[in-house]
Amino acid sequence: MGSFIANLLLATVRMASPLIFLSLAELYSQRAGLVNIGIEGLAAIGSLTGFLVSLISGSPLLGVLAGALAGILVNMIFAYATITLCAEQIVYGMAINIFAPALAAFTYRVYFGSGSELVQVELMGTLKSMLGIKSDNFFVNLFLDQTPMVYLAFVLVILTAVYFTRTKAGLNYKAVGEYPKAAATIGINVIGIKYLSCVICGALAGIGGAYLTTCYSKTYVDGNVAGRGFIALAAVIFGRWSSGGVLVACLFFGFCDALQIRLQLVNNTLPYQFFQMIPYVATIVVLAIIGAKKAGPRASGQPYRKEER
Amino acid sequence: MFIKKEANMKRKLIAMVVTGAVVASMAPTFTAHADTHTVAMICDSSISDGGWGMACYNAMMDAAEKCGWETMYSDSIAQSAYYDTIVSYCDLDVDMIYAPGNQYTDAVLQAAEEYPDIAFALLNGGADTPAKAENGNVSSLLPDAKQIGWIAGALAGLMSDTGTIAFIGGMELDTTLAKYDGYGEAAAYVAEENGKSITLLDPVYSGDFSASDKGLEFAKAMMDQDADVFFGDASAVDSGARQAIDEANEAAGEIKVYDIAQPADLLGQNDCVIGSQVTDNSVLIELSMKAVEDGSFGG
Repeated sequence: MGSFIANLLLATVRMASPLIFLSLAELYSQRAGLVNIGIEGLAAIGSLTGFLVSLISGSPLLGVLAGALAGILVNMIFAYATITLCAEQIVYGMAINIFAPALAAFTYRVYFGSGSELVQVELMGTLKSMLGIKSDNFFVNLFLDQTPMVYLAFVLVILTAVYFTRTKAGLNYKAVGEYPKAAATIGINVIGIKYLSCVICGALAGIGGAYLTTCYSKTYVDGNVAGRGFIALAAVIFGRWSSGGVLVACLFFGFCDALQIRLQLVNNTLPYQFFQMIPYVATIVVLAIIGAKKAGPRASGQPYRKEER
Repeated sequence: MFIKKEANMKRKLIAMVVTGAVVASMAPTFTAHADTHTVAMICDSSISDGGWGMACYNAMMDAAEKCGWETMYSDSIAQSAYYDTIVSYCDLDVDMIYAPGNQYTDAVLQAAEEYPDIAFALLNGGADTPAKAENGNVSSLLPDAKQIGWIAGALAGLMSDTGTIAFIGGMELDTTLAKYDGYGEAAAYVAEENGKSITLLDPVYSGDFSASDKGLEFAKAMMDQDADVFFGDASAVDSGARQAIDEANEAAGEIKVYDIAQPADLLGQNDCVIGSQVTDNSVLIELSMKAVEDGSFGG
């Protein structure tokens, strides 16, 4: 039983880490009033770019950086359409979700050819392997057998919390998502901050995607983001638009997913689909309870027209 | 006021143009030539998944090359798009739809009723599926899934030291269950012949064929239960499992946990792969193409 719980917790961290990047990406976007449902697509292009650059350069770190850059570039489509053209955010988010994975699949097909075998890349090393520690102790595995990206994810959660609650720049940023016209009257560059949010969102979503192919799985397969971009949307609502809440939500979703995998192994009486439902049923239940009271940015999803009264 | 309206109109126009460009970039383009035969493949996994999708696509390409047919394909399609994708190809007057998987049965039967002049080759379809097609234009191409399981199981029975073996599935398909059953039967038989006993863990399912991370997590969980030989029927999910097995072997300093690949030969791709159960689907597709050409397709 001890081993079951220990391995369950280790799997929780593994499965929650990419979700943290994606959820923070959505958080930064929504805090500036932009509901970006295209996180899934941004992660897909980040995943492929990270994989290709890691393969070519031999450096997973470069892969992550390239994934971030790819995420930013693709998200600029969303930024231009929704900020400059004031187009519908949901529509463009969905367009990104269709366009970006297709672009990733097309690029992979062009580079490796159709019907190719899965190419494998070296993953980023863990702190435990870098330090040459051999111990198989649970706490050593939990705290040290993680790639630097996992630590970065947790550090980003703390930095985000400090930025939004303890800095003037962070409060200005939040003001843009709450009441952009009022923010503009006190000299805040609303359009600039909205574009900045798209840069941060694209970078974090790209990193989240690149994490999958540089730190988690050695291969790239179409569809490897597997709905994490949509779970990130739920995690932001679950987390009440705060980075601490988002962290708890991601760990919860990671735990549910890790649990359903292990429950399939220990229970042969119920159909496997029942266990696969667990993360999604948990999402619905939690959102039904927590999401009842609106706590998100007030101008979320609304276009900002500077000249409009 | 007028200037503001004009500015808004301009924005809307640019937004429409950008939307159009994005949508246009996503639209597939199909061309079928009337003077040659054409086969169109649909697949819910990627044709570059290093597993089932790849093997089925390459089988189609091999058969098409031998028979001089043109090919088309749509991969990574959602379950909700099976029928629509098939019908899209039917509307292009392709000669044969190639659907590699039991899961396409309902969509194929529905389309086959509406397009009586098009042949539908259902790889791993049920033995009774062709009889359900009113127009007699559906064939089930049936490698014996249980025998596939037997081959893998025999190897697993010989190689297992812990006496625990594992199976990872993508979806709970009839063919997957048959492979699982055959795998367990042969492993138990071979183990008994060698004075051992074998426990086959309950099958687990990832729910799709792309989630290599799920394969990794399944394999880790099953190794925690002492499984030391793995067999799978889940395309890219299996590659995730092999990654976890390789990592465990590397940590142990020796190869103690093994994997049996299928349906293509993946020996050498990972250290843990001790053999591949290879299914030559191209022969079945080639036979279907020839049947279409001589008008004997169906049943």
